[in-house]
Amino acid sequence: MFLLRGIAVSLAFYVLVYCGFSILILSAWELVGSCGQYCVARRRADFLFTLRVLPLIGAGLFVLAFVVPSFVELEPHKSFELVGERPLALGSFGVLFLGVGTVNACTAHRRTLRAVNGWLGGATLMADRAGVPVLRILPAVPALTLAGIRAPKVLLSKAAADLLTPAELEAALRHEMAHVRRRDNLKKLIFRFCVFPRTAHLEAAWSEAEEMTADDAAVRNARDAVELASALIKLSRLAQVQSPPTLTTPLTQRTTASINGRVQRLMNWKEDRSPAFVPRASWYSWGSAVGLALTVAPKYSAILRGLHSLTEWMVR
Amino acid sequence: MNRFFRSTQPAFAQLGPLEQRLMQEIWTRGHATVRELLRSGNLGIAYTTVMTTLDRLYKKQLLTRVTEGRAFRYSPKVSQEEMHRAAAGDAIRQLLQSSDAATLPLSYLVEAVSEHDAELLDELQRVVEMKRRELRKGETP
Repeated sequence: MFLLRGIAVSLAFYVLVYCGFSILILSAWELVGSCGQYCVARRRADFLFTLRVLPLIGAGLFVLAFVVPSFVELEPHKSFELVGERPLALGSFGVLFLGVGTVNACTAHRRTLRAVNGWLGGATLMADRAGVPVLRILPAVPALTLAGIRAPKVLLSKAAADLLTPAELEAALRHEMAHVRRRDNLKKLIFRFCVFPRTAHLEAAWSEAEEMTADDAAVRNARDAVELASALIKLSRLAQVQSPPTLTTPLTQRTTASINGRVQRLMNWKEDRSPAFVPRASWYSWGSAVGLALTVAPKYSAILRGLHSLTEWMVR
Repeated sequence: MNRFFRSTQPAFAQLGPLEQRLMQEIWTRGHATVRELLRSGNLGIAYTTVMTTLDRLYKKQLLTRVTEGRAFRYSPKVSQEEMHRAAAGDAIRQLLQSSDAATLPLSYLVEAVSEHDAELLDELQRVVEMKRRELRKGETP
């Protein structure tokens, strides 16, 4: 009964913190969503990714760092208390969230795998870029896309290969390799696991920022920018009508309006937009984490006691 | 789609020219009384005309009002964006109702969007080619 009660209480707190964080983030996003449009694309993409997964990470860390120690330390092990209605109801919600997230992620993975296997029929190896195979596929669409999480591969249609000049193809492939380095397909899989309504806008903004980040990484000078812009325009004409599988990253995945934005941005390329000039976002994250830990550490016991009182109230 | 677009308020295009002007003024100011609108000097119309038109907009549920002394202070009930969305919704609804064959108007829409997209891509291609030529010119000694 102790273990069952512990699991129910942990899941109850998980769901409360997860929903609280999600509501807070989405409300803040609705208010200030358009701010930061002019930030460096990589920083914006990192920030949006952190926002999107913060409920999952925040709730998980809160449960592991506070709820579980508080329960194990302060709850009498030989108590015959029942689980309680509130933890049971909230815990069921927690199981539901985690279950739906798992099903979502598995479904997206299975559908992507099925689509990619369909495209790979008759594919030939064209090149190998830093261990990532570039495969020429027979279907005209997807024109150029990145597929796979553990073993990523770049798929290039024969039509796209015929359409692009060598310089355009090189720029486009560098763009896809930037997605490989940033593990964007894995991030998309994590998004599918973080279930919450009305997150589509946040994900779309992240996706756009991620495309711009990959554009920045693929471009070293104004000539590269022109080649990539030209490749974007040419491949948008081959864009598929139906939406691509969730866990793939095509070069031209968004609307023509978005292509317009990216091309205009590339046409106004400035050398100082090179990724080398972007300060590392992880420094801020580590700094914040250390700061938070130093603030919490002296009050840790008091927090555990407070949390245990809350648990008692919940179980009653 | 209808769920988002259907509204009890009339679309912006359905308003008269004076109603549109006054709506625009109130959106710009956030809120205003008749006297404040006249004081700006841009309207060039009589007090009673403004008062009657604002009252009509209030009855059309486009403005809200609170009493302030002996006058009313009007504020917009819908944002400009909501109004434009409703207008787009009306246009799409009309298009969908314009033929007995349900798929035909949708094909017009897809065709119009595709044409627009193709034109935009052509324009972008021209810009890119121009930039490419510029860069080549800069490189040749």
